[in-house]
Parts: sequence; C-alpha cells; structure tokens
Amino acid sequence: MSSGLRLDEDREYDSEGPLLELDGVSKHFGQESGLLAGLQFDASEFPPFTVEQERVRAVDDVSIEIRPGETLGLVGESGCGKSTLGRTVLRLLEPTEGDIYFKGENLADLDGEALRQTRSDMQMIFQDPQSSLDPRMKVGQIIEEPMRAHDMLDDEGREARAKELLAKVGLDPRHYNRHPHAFSGGQRQRINLARALSVDPDFVVCDEPVSALDVSIQAQVLNTMERLQREFGLTYLFIAHDLSVIRHISDRVAVMYLGHIVELAGKEELFENPQHPYTRALLESIPVPDPRENGSRGVLEGEVPSPVDPPSGCRFRTRCPHLIAPDAYDWTGEKWPRTRAFMRAVKRRTFEPMPAARIEAEFFDGTPPRGEAGSIVAEAIDLVATDGEADGDEADRWEAATDLLLESFAEESVCARERPAYDLESGDGERFAACHLHR
Amino acid sequence: MSSEPLLRVENLKTQFFTEAGTVRAVDGISFEVREGEIVGLVGESGAGKSVASMSIMGLVEAPGEIVGGEITYKGETIFGLEEGPDGELRKRDDALSDEEIRTRIRGNEIAVIFQDPMESLNPVFTVGGQLREFIELNRGLEGEEARAAAIDMLREVGIPDPEERYEEYPHQFSGGMRQRVLIAMALACEPSLIIADEPTTALDVTVEGQILELVDDLQSKYGTSFVWVTHDLGVVAEICDRVNVMYLGEIVEQAPVDELFYETKHPYTDALLDSIPRPDRTVTELEAIEGVMPEAIEPPSGCRFHPRCPDAREVCKRVHPEPTVIADADGEPHRAACVKHDAFDVDYEGSPPLAGATRETGDGMAEGTASELAPNPADDGGEDRE
Repeated sequence: MSSGLRLDEDREYDSEGPLLELDGVSKHFGQESGLLAGLQFDASEFPPFTVEQERVRAVDDVSIEIRPGETLGLVGESGCGKSTLGRTVLRLLEPTEGDIYFKGENLADLDGEALRQTRSDMQMIFQDPQSSLDPRMKVGQIIEEPMRAHDMLDDEGREARAKELLAKVGLDPRHYNRHPHAFSGGQRQRINLARALSVDPDFVVCDEPVSALDVSIQAQVLNTMERLQREFGLTYLFIAHDLSVIRHISDRVAVMYLGHIVELAGKEELFENPQHPYTRALLESIPVPDPRENGSRGVLEGEVPSPVDPPSGCRFRTRCPHLIAPDAYDWTGEKWPRTRAFMRAVKRRTFEPMPAARIEAEFFDGTPPRGEAGSIVAEAIDLVATDGEADGDEADRWEAATDLLLESFAEESVCARERPAYDLESGDGERFAACHLHR
Repeated sequence: MSSEPLLRVENLKTQFFTEAGTVRAVDGISFEVREGEIVGLVGESGAGKSVASMSIMGLVEAPGEIVGGEITYKGETIFGLEEGPDGELRKRDDALSDEEIRTRIRGNEIAVIFQDPMESLNPVFTVGGQLREFIELNRGLEGEEARAAAIDMLREVGIPDPEERYEEYPHQFSGGMRQRVLIAMALACEPSLIIADEPTTALDVTVEGQILELVDDLQSKYGTSFVWVTHDLGVVAEICDRVNVMYLGEIVEQAPVDELFYETKHPYTDALLDSIPRPDRTVTELEAIEGVMPEAIEPPSGCRFHPRCPDAREVCKRVHPEPTVIADADGEPHRAACVKHDAFDVDYEGSPPLAGATRETGDGMAEGTASELAPNPADDGGEDRE
C-alpha cells in the first residue's frame, strides 16, 4: 500500500472490529403519488377522513457486518431492496430505523463537517456508466470533482493524481481532456472507478457495476476492480443480481429477499451448500454454461409479493417449496405437501374448474387428508368444484376457498408466526440462515 | 438431414447506410433451422445477431436494408435479390411479395418475441384485448370464440387467474408475466418457427428459469422451432440444439451445442467461454478478451477477430476465412472460420505470430494508433450507447 496513491496512510483503519456495521437498519418509503392518494373515507368515524400512508418496506431490519478488506456480495432479484440498502449505508438515504457504524462511529451522530469527512472514506459506483458521468465535463474534471469537494490537494496535485488514477484504472492519462461520450461503456465504468478512488476511500459500494457491460468487457472491469482492491486496500459492498459475478468477486455473500437478509455465508459455503430454500432456488435457476450439466432446473413458483404488505414471519413462505406443516393438525405421509400444492393452486387459480372427484384425484391421488385438516380441504374443494353445493358468484367462491385454506394452513405454520433467524455452525465460522427448517 | 430444412438463410447481408459510412451489420451469414430445433444466435452487442433475426422477418427499417442473400422458408423463397437490367438490385420474381409475407408468413408461420415486453404491448389496451385482436386477425375466430381462445392461451403460458387478468392492462403485469403474454401471442397461431430476440435478458433469474421451463414444455408439445438470439452462454447451453456464434456481422463458428462447448474450434468462442464467471465453480482469475469489438463500418482486414486474437498470425491479417467444415460431430458439420485449422490451406504454421498486435492498455486503447485521435476511439459496438 505504499503506492503513493494513499493520501491518508496514517489514518489507516487497523481495528479488529468490522469496518461497517448495520444494526437493525430499515428504510421505508411513503407512497406519495398524489395530493389525495393517502386519503381514506370512513363515514362511521369523525372526522370521516383519515390520511393513511402506505409504506413500502424496501429494507426491513437488516443487521450485517462488513470486515476490512473483504468483498461482501449482496445478491437478490429486482425489487428486493439491495440498491436501497447500498444507498442507505452511505446515508444517501436516511434510514427509517437502525444504526450504521463506520469504523466504530455511529453515522447518525455525525453531522456537517464530520459527516462530510467520513463520506470521503465511502464512495459509490453506479450501474449505468452513461448517466453517471456528466456529459459536459471533461474526464479530468470528473475525476477531480470529489477531491475539490473535499478540499484535497491543490490544482496541480489534483491533475497529477487524476492522471495517475487514469493509468491505474487502465486508461490512457492523455485522455484527461476528453469528454465521456468518446468512451465505451467499459471505459466509462473505469472513469467511474477513478472518480471513486480519487478521494482515497476505504469503502466502496458498487451497485451493479458490470451488469450493463458485455461479457468480455465485464471480465476486464472485474479484473481491474480486484487489482485496485489489492492496491488500495479497499473494502467492497458489491451489489449484483448476477450470481456468477457474485461468486467470482465476493469473499462472503448475503442473499436478500423482499427487504430481509435470508442467508449470509462464506462464498464457497453458500454456493456449494445453501441453507435457505430461496438461495437454493436462486442457484438452481441459473442457466449453467455447460450443456452436459443437465441437473433439474429448479423452478420457483409465483411472484415476489408486494413490499407494501409483506407476508408475516418468513417473507419467502408464500413461495417456499418447504413451507412447514402447521402443528395444529395431524399429517401423515404425503398429505401436507399435497395440501400445500392444492392451497397454492387454488390461490393462483392455476387449474380449470372441475368436479370434486377430479380435484381429489389430481391433487390428492384420490385420498384427501382426514380429520380436521380433511374437513377444511373438503370444504374448500366444495367451494371450487363445478358440482359443489356452495352457491354464489364463481370468483367469490374461489376467494372464499383461498381465504379458508390460507387461514387454516399457511397462517398457522411457524413460518407465518415467527420471523426466522438462526446462526449456524459451519466450516469457516459463522453463517446465518433465516429459515425455520433450522429450528 | 436429407429433407429440406424449415428455414434456410444463405449469404444474408444487411447494411445500414449512415452519414458515417456503411455499417455492414450482417455480412454474409448462412445457417439453417430444422423442424423442432432450437438454434442459437450468440454474440456480444454489436455482433449483428438482432439485425440478422429481424432480417429474416423482413423487419429491417431505413436506413437499414437487406442487400444480398436468400431466405427460404418451407421451400418458398421469402427473400431473394437479383440484378435488374440497369444493374440495380431488385426483388426476384419468385420471392413472396410483402403482402404475402404480411398475411401468410408473419405471425401465422413465423412469430417473434422481443426482449422488452413493455415495448411490444400497447399500454392503452387490455392484455386480453390485444391477444384477442391478434387471434381474430390471424386465426379467423370471432367474438366469444376468440376471447375463449385468448384466455386458453393465457392459461397455457402459466398466467394465474386468466379470466381476471384478461381485463388488465400491461402495466399491471410484472416483467415475467408480460413476457408470458408475448409468448402466448407468438404461440396463438401455432407458428412453425418463433424468433426469440433476447427474451429472458431483462428478467430476474428465477423468472428466467420459469420462462425457459415454459419454452421447453411448449416446444415438446407443439414441436415449434426457435431461433434463439442471446448473449448468455448459460441459456445457450441450457436450451439450444445447435449454435451459431457471431462476431462483427459474421458467423465464426457453427456447431451442435455439446461440440461448441467441448470441442471449441474458434479462438473467439474459446475466449468468450474463458471470460465468463461461472455459477457452478469458483474461477479465481477471469481471462478477459483484450480490446473491444471494432465498429462494423471499417472491419479489420482478413479475419475480423485478429486484432484481439491470442492465436493471430501474419496470415490472419490477409486471409479472410469463411466458415468451413473442419470436424464432424455425429453427422453434423462443425464449421469454424479460423485459418489455424488444416482445412484452410494458407500455411498458418509457417506464418509469423503477430507480436504485440493486442498489447493494449485497458479495454481497447491501442497505444499511439490512429484511432487514438478519432472522436470515438474505441466504441465497442454500441455496448450500451444509445
């Protein structure tokens, strides 16, 4: 690290503790789509109007640690809250709840000048290399801007450093006076890197930095990022949806689903031995670039629920192939998996209306469960069967059947009643899985 | 293999006439699609794979134009050019007219699925209405019958609660569901061939898995053939039977999928496979391909890949290789356009290696070359420009 590019070697963080620590961080957004959007009318109350805000719970109670010098991969599908979390970490977004500690200091306690100083230690690289560079500025100015904002060096010093950084990220220092439009996507992402490194940060949040790039360019940029990490002693929070990229670049990986971290483990552990059904489903759905790899394609049912009204307990339970049987009933053999499949088919209306006998044959192999669970199933079948005795509009009957099944079974499962959080023993120390299968 | 293939593309050339010059987006490609097959067109952005697929459908718009080649579908020429009396290129008499292509081929025989489902659906009409209209126009069904067929199709592609969702607008559907609607539309007329242009690229990985599964199911049920355009080698390995790898407007390698991955014959395909991070194993160092894809306005002489090729020799600058059969994979030809193979008798072994031809800094700045001063020194073929 004596490259001469480190401006603050004396301020090196050498504590044993984590570089960054999130403690119960949440970020909720109000849905302010219009002046009267939140207005509710209820004639039985006085005053008859209430203003109720729907809240999007983008990030909900997340606690993680990032160790100095590591790359923590944060992976999840679109809408899971990973970018929001990345921005909240830098306090580009104010957390709704929870504390963020950087080098042991609570960011919430810092303000004004102290926060500004800390920010120079934390930088960000964005996904879109086109829109994140000002087209009217020259590359040199772009790279120098953060240094100017933080009052670092004099004009000459800044120019020298900008040129040195250009070379470091694999561009020609003579391009100092060019405008961003003259560069390709991969090169623009390198300019972003140089800009982020100009203030000599310790920590960089990389939000999908290579997902807009072609594969051959992606490899070049990833290799450069790894080299820079070694050279500058950087710690990365690397956000991506591409599991292959995450596997390549990360030391540890956190998997996010609908605002929660569902699993966190060392890279090898996570990819070779996933402990959360969602992680497993994600891994099984990646197309592997090997035609002889014909393992079954894990297909996950359904869609991600709305973050406005997320499921109670485990947020993945509405799609989980391992939803745990509710203890209130007795289950024998295959009865619970079959009931679960039937419940979801009714909820998603994936089958055509048919007579009761055929439903029983199709979903229960002719023998529906007995006892209390059996009578609930029978009632539901009666509601949706074409020869059922229930009357009323078809859509209403399906809805009644869905409510009945969900309330009796899904809501009774431990997955719905308690939020799971388990620290597991593993080969290389701690790992975390939010799944009641580890009870 | 003796029978006529479903689709045959021969020496197809599509060019765009721009102010900066003629962009040879597709420059003489040939391939065929047989019944029930999924054929991949693979390459990075700017390789010309999308233009190639749009050319098959006759959907190339000005300033683009198909300037050469022949496309045959089920034995009928759907595109062909001949030289007129005054030397001008004109459509051959035996080729189908635009009218015939519109009414008989497009939709009924060959359907397309695009990458962005939001752009293919009209936001001001309901999803069901659009699907019904499509069925009415192409299948001659009317009113209630067409509506019932539309709802059946929606259920077929796995849209939950199809009666209800029939009345909804595209914005009320998620990305994966919209893509299912497009697949429903493509399948509605039971075409023999579907051209899928990066249909899963914009989708999340679990949704992509769902769509690939659906395509598998539907293909075994209807026996539809596919031309699958993608940049993702994972998807290729998963679903394609045969693959065409494109680079800068040309097909550089053509082989059955297993051959392509295990008996790779072209250095570009090799380099692509080495540069991707793997989901199934940990790769410590990625072998990036040097440089960027040049522009199709002035492609490099000889082999177009030679400035980036680790195996390039002197001869590669001079000889332009055509895809040539260099191996046999259980009766299937394995073609590659690389002179290092013996099938090209150009004394590759005796040619001196191109030392330093690829020594560049970063991703594409050749030190001190003329391109250095160009306004767009190393545009990587529109990787994400515009």
